Amino acid sequence: MNGATYSSFLEIAAGLVILCAFVTLWRRSLRAIVRTLAVQGMALGVVAIVLGVHRRDVVLIVVGCLVVLAKGLAIPTLVRRVLANEPMSRETSPLVNVPSSLVGAGALTFLAYGATRPVVALVSTSAGRLIPLGVATLLIGFFSMVVRRKAVSQIVGLLLVDNGIALVAFLATAGVPLLVELGASLDVLLVVVVLRVLAVQLWSKFAVLDLDQLQELHD
Amino acid sequence: MNEVYVVTVGLAGLIAAILGGALPLASRVGAAVALTWLSCGAGIAAAVSVLSSGHVISLSTTAILPLTGVTLVLNPLGALFVISISVVALASTLYWLGYASHGLDTRSASSALPLFVTSMLLVPFAASVATFLVLWEMMALTSLVLVLTDQSRREAARSAAQWYAVMTHAGAAAILLALILLSAHSGGQTFADIEAHARHLSGAVRGTIFVLALLGFGSKAGAVPLHVWLPKAHAEAPGPASALMSGAMVNLGIYGIILVGNELLGGGPVWWWLLVSLLGVVSALYGALYAATSSDLKRLLAYSTTDNMGLVLIALGASGLFGAVGRPTTAAIAMVAALLLLINHSVFKGALFLAAGAVQAATGTRDLDRLGGLMRRMPVTGVVFFVGALSVAALPPFNGFVGEWLLFQGLLHGLPTSNTSVVISVAVAVAALALTGGLTVAAFVKATGIGFLGRARSIEAAEAHEAAITMRLGAAALATLCLVLGLVPMLVLPAIERAAASAGRVSATSATGGWISLHLLGLRGVLAPSLLAGGLAIAVLVVIVIRRLTHRRSHAWPAVNPVEPWGSGRKLQTARMQYTATSFAEPLQRVFDDVIRPSRDLDVSHFVESRYYIERIAYHTSNDDVLERHFYRPFIASVRWWGQRARRLQNGSVHRYLAFGFVALVIVLVVVA
Repeated sequence: MNGATYSSFLEIAAGLVILCAFVTLWRRSLRAIVRTLAVQGMALGVVAIVLGVHRRDVVLIVVGCLVVLAKGLAIPTLVRRVLANEPMSRETSPLVNVPSSLVGAGALTFLAYGATRPVVALVSTSAGRLIPLGVATLLIGFFSMVVRRKAVSQIVGLLLVDNGIALVAFLATAGVPLLVELGASLDVLLVVVVLRVLAVQLWSKFAVLDLDQLQELHD
Repeated sequence: MNEVYVVTVGLAGLIAAILGGALPLASRVGAAVALTWLSCGAGIAAAVSVLSSGHVISLSTTAILPLTGVTLVLNPLGALFVISISVVALASTLYWLGYASHGLDTRSASSALPLFVTSMLLVPFAASVATFLVLWEMMALTSLVLVLTDQSRREAARSAAQWYAVMTHAGAAAILLALILLSAHSGGQTFADIEAHARHLSGAVRGTIFVLALLGFGSKAGAVPLHVWLPKAHAEAPGPASALMSGAMVNLGIYGIILVGNELLGGGPVWWWLLVSLLGVVSALYGALYAATSSDLKRLLAYSTTDNMGLVLIALGASGLFGAVGRPTTAAIAMVAALLLLINHSVFKGALFLAAGAVQAATGTRDLDRLGGLMRRMPVTGVVFFVGALSVAALPPFNGFVGEWLLFQGLLHGLPTSNTSVVISVAVAVAALALTGGLTVAAFVKATGIGFLGRARSIEAAEAHEAAITMRLGAAALATLCLVLGLVPMLVLPAIERAAASAGRVSATSATGGWISLHLLGLRGVLAPSLLAGGLAIAVLVVIVIRRLTHRRSHAWPAVNPVEPWGSGRKLQTARMQYTATSFAEPLQRVFDDVIRPSRDLDVSHFVESRYYIERIAYHTSNDDVLERHFYRPFIASVRWWGQRARRLQNGSVHRYLAFGFVALVIVLVVVA
């Protein structure tokens, strides 16, 4: 793989990650959002694989394949099961409406570019230039956790945060050790399981998947 | 050899704590006491070797505390404190053997008490910031456990422990800040490093460090206005623990002030010591006043501790002042006076608290208004208390007198100095000392007269039994020491002088003398305590003889009507006709009404049939601490109010909580970018 194809592959894959982050804010249907998440997970895995091929690093390729399996297939499947109760549920009234959210996400991307300038200057490889995309994904994920009401949206927001962190880790370092990546992925898997249980409980108590209902529990 | 002593102090205490927690009921207190004695004995041996040879003991290991290691050094000043703590601890643990059955034989108490003693013994050894803080905290925590052990007064004990925990940790925070500032500015955390660099710090930094240390250690010593925990915790702690807290732990507060002010910082400008003296004057007056007006026996003793620590602070401040204006001899005398007062206080306050603990164990109450006539029922305890009271009141031939005499000598001879602020403060201190002395006498006349003389005011007091033999022995040992130190203070003076020299860096001996009389060097002051005592004894004998003679003559008069005096002609005297503690203190309370502001309550209930006939009148007066009422309680209330305000931020919305984090993150990024 020559330099130009490598960097264009990398840019497409990383661009797909951030694009998916925007799409999760844009779409209202929860099924569509989870589908987007799966695409993002796969794109993240592709980033790792491309990097691995470029650096002739077998471990990194293995990590990339695992990421595709975990974040592209396993986790989205788990999240989709939460939706089994309400197959057609939609994010009807987010705290900030969709157009404003998109504008906000754009602003956050700018912020990410601004804030990561020192890091980018330090790394100075073609991969390093893409670091702001990872930070932007992280910020958008956090933002969507703040403004979305549904429990599933919260899970998706958290996964966006995690994907953003993973992207930065792949791009900024010379390869994340397998152990660390596995540990992080397992953590996320656990969090998803916990949140799923929470969502199911929420459903059985209030018959909605709306986090605002939790306010009832306040003393 | 000396290092072996140090290791023994720590190890014996640790094993005592483990055995106290692990052994069955029958043997745990005995084992803990035996090992604590070993620990104290090793401490005394180490201290004596330091004081007699003048060589410090030092020991350091990196095996115990990670990163910093433990550094232990015992200098003469520390040695003096180790001895004073050991003496109180030996007596208190002996007393504990008898007291244990009064709820102090639980696993937690049997484990905490030896650990408390050992950590107190080791604090003067600590010679690095980390070591010092670890031992200091251990001392605070173990004593906190002991305050909580009295199960019969759970609510009061819990509240006292809460106050104590908060105040002691606030104090520890101030100490931590001071020591961190010191070590950060001197690039090392052993006291030797700090001592070498502290002189080159700027005045502002040194001042900040000193004030922080004064606040932190002052709160441990019970200096007003940081004393509020002391009357609560010392009163609620069970007998031996309260003796240890009041007789030994407060000493370490003073030790801390000397350590930071004189040793680490090497003395300072006049305003530091004016501040110390001011704290001392306020504490002495306030403590004495509350001691005179409170009717709870142990609370009275606790306030008297504040009073005595005030005296020590005055002496310490005077020593610093004279040092700062270039009068080393007077400074040395004041420092010796401070240390002597401290040692005397350990001994007599230990005896008094042990006696009070015995009274509480025998009668189940500490309320003087429910006691009385105990001298007959508990003669040994009564005599111990009486001796302790005479010592507190600074009457010869007991030890309190010598210390106060030295303090007065130091202050009065220091007067002719060119610095106006020093002159004024010394004059004020002398006046305050005089008033304090009077109030203290009133307080202890009340405590002894109401508690131990007269008739019993309650069934419990009337049926009291003398304490167990070990309790009597422990308390009597300290009382005997009061008399010995009062007659021959020269026993301890050389040690005190060596300690004062190591603290104040003055090599001149200030007071000397043979076994009979005490001469102050450089000043005209002589005291012969034993001759004074002999004179007193002769005077008392003469009075008794004269009285006997005149008494016999009065029998010659024919018509003497055997009616009790002040009985209004009645034959019968009941216990309710006596003075109570409240009524005895009432005139004093009236004089100091504006300071104490007691809340009085007069409850008059009439008969239903006619309002002209009164069924009963109830008079309640409570003199809870005025500072607590007007400063601490409003402060707590305002903190609580802000807390309630802050709770509005927390409305249960997950989105809001997430938004807090998100906004904070974005702000950080914007600031960084």
